[in-house]
Amino acid sequence: MLRSVFAKVVHDQWRMVLGWAAFSAVWPAMYVGLYPSIGALGELEKMLDQFPPAIREFFASASLDLSSPEGFLNMELFTFVAPLLILAYTVVVGGGATAGEEEKGTMDLLLANPIPRWRIVVEKSAAFVIGTIVIGIGMWIGAAAGAAIADVDLDLVLVGQAIGSVVLLGLALGGFALALGAITGRRWLAAGTALMVVIAGFFLNGFGALVDWLEPWRPISPFYQYIANDPLSNGIDPGNALVLVGWAVVGTAIAIIAFERRDLAR
Amino acid sequence: MPDPIIRTERLTKRYGRARGVDDLDLEVRPGEVFGFLGPNGAGKTTTIRLLLDFIRPTSGRAVIFGLDSRRDSRAIRRRLGYLPGELTLYESLSGVELLTYFAHLRGLRSIETGRRVAERLDCDLTREIKALSHGNRQKVGLVQALMGDPELTIFDEPTLGLDPLVQAVFFELVDELRTAGRTLFVSSHNLPEIQRICDRVGIIREGRLLAVESVSDLKRRALRRLELRFAEPVTAERFARVPGVHDLVVDGPFLSCVVTGSVDPMLRAALELRVDDVISHEPSLEEIFLAFYGTGATGGPPPESAPTPGAPGGTPGTPSEEVPHAA
Repeated sequence: MLRSVFAKVVHDQWRMVLGWAAFSAVWPAMYVGLYPSIGALGELEKMLDQFPPAIREFFASASLDLSSPEGFLNMELFTFVAPLLILAYTVVVGGGATAGEEEKGTMDLLLANPIPRWRIVVEKSAAFVIGTIVIGIGMWIGAAAGAAIADVDLDLVLVGQAIGSVVLLGLALGGFALALGAITGRRWLAAGTALMVVIAGFFLNGFGALVDWLEPWRPISPFYQYIANDPLSNGIDPGNALVLVGWAVVGTAIAIIAFERRDLAR
Repeated sequence: MPDPIIRTERLTKRYGRARGVDDLDLEVRPGEVFGFLGPNGAGKTTTIRLLLDFIRPTSGRAVIFGLDSRRDSRAIRRRLGYLPGELTLYESLSGVELLTYFAHLRGLRSIETGRRVAERLDCDLTREIKALSHGNRQKVGLVQALMGDPELTIFDEPTLGLDPLVQAVFFELVDELRTAGRTLFVSSHNLPEIQRICDRVGIIREGRLLAVESVSDLKRRALRRLELRFAEPVTAERFARVPGVHDLVVDGPFLSCVVTGSVDPMLRAALELRVDDVISHEPSLEEIFLAFYGTGATGGPPPESAPTPGAPGGTPGTPSEEVPHAA
């Protein structure tokens, strides 16, 4: 316990992470568990069929097929809820990784120890990657439990890949928030700005599917990389995954450089 | 003379319009307790944060243990203890947990030294920091600064919020560390505190070093505000020529004045009459600045004519130890 900056973050956050993972497990469990008992599913599908294709595409970047539990999950869980659950964690924790201690005023005390600044960024990032993965695992367990209880035939490997894609989305934007926090020293500014990028990315991907001139810009959106190839049906596309990992790595690298060079706030 | 523990060379930090520190040339010698005296906002904390590489100089540099404060910051911090001015600790940790954490980061084998210091200060390490009073947090701050038995410890306003009893223990600790040959750098806006514990003192005001003096010199020129009440009205003329007396104000039987150096001549003169009451005040920092360095509360840098060798406007490299004598 408390052997390193990494251990300190774990010490501080494990309850919060486990709590959030449990909360995040509820949603897939609920959607999967309720799937067989939604009698009106056929009706819902009929209604969706009458939607203009554009709207359908906006809400489900992947194919809309409610006759399978995967299609239902894509629509209900992976379009919005799952990214929200993960991003709420990564953006806030990423934004506060170094900026939180700066704002609270503990950074001076921490850095009076013979520890290089880059190492604080790296250890905090490592803890935050693990936290994100734990929340992803929580979601997967939720989905698996829901499938077992309600006896739904669900490909849990593909569910795992789709959740993996959500985790990468979270890390990408968490890395962005981390960089902003390291540059500005202000956690809510960092988290808030990252959140705006999240929203912009969500709509860019959604509208990009509808608007011709936006279409070429869609790959800029992390949401496009996350879901456009429908990881729940096709598994994670390595190219998309690499782009998201790239976001996270570049974000962390920028955070390290910025944090090494900056005057610390007080 | 041995190499200084801290040496700053024209160290400067500017913050846009706000004042940082300007052309600071400072030397702290091995084994001394160096006081860094100045009012709030004078640049004490900025200087300390430059030394610790939390912020980077606009120009100039600092050398600690012969190492560059920027390039070799980590090696420096390995040998240094630090108590921040505005101390914030990890709220959810207990004292023991905080010490354990920092011991790991510093590569210390145990927190035994820390526990001993805590015992001296009567500091409860078992409670969570969020449950501690300001004074008790300050104790934990002192304990973590001293637990590695560092060669150099930097205290930024160490006694702020400590009750007098604990302050006394802190002064004892400082004396012991001095005896053990450790170097201490103590910032404070409190002159009596600096006089009590320091060997030499650097006086900083509005980002500029006014002077560096030995505390014994400072004490010799001690400044006192005296107020006397006589049994009968007195005249100012009677006291005007008493050595060391300034700012004499007489109003009927009431007399107030500032005395530099010994108060003996003034008291002897007073006792030729019947004295009903005597009150002696520690002077404020501003009064001292005014009396010794000819610079008042609001003005910018002191006028050229001010007797302040080694102070602002002085040529760089001027040894700042020269003692400016009071007018």
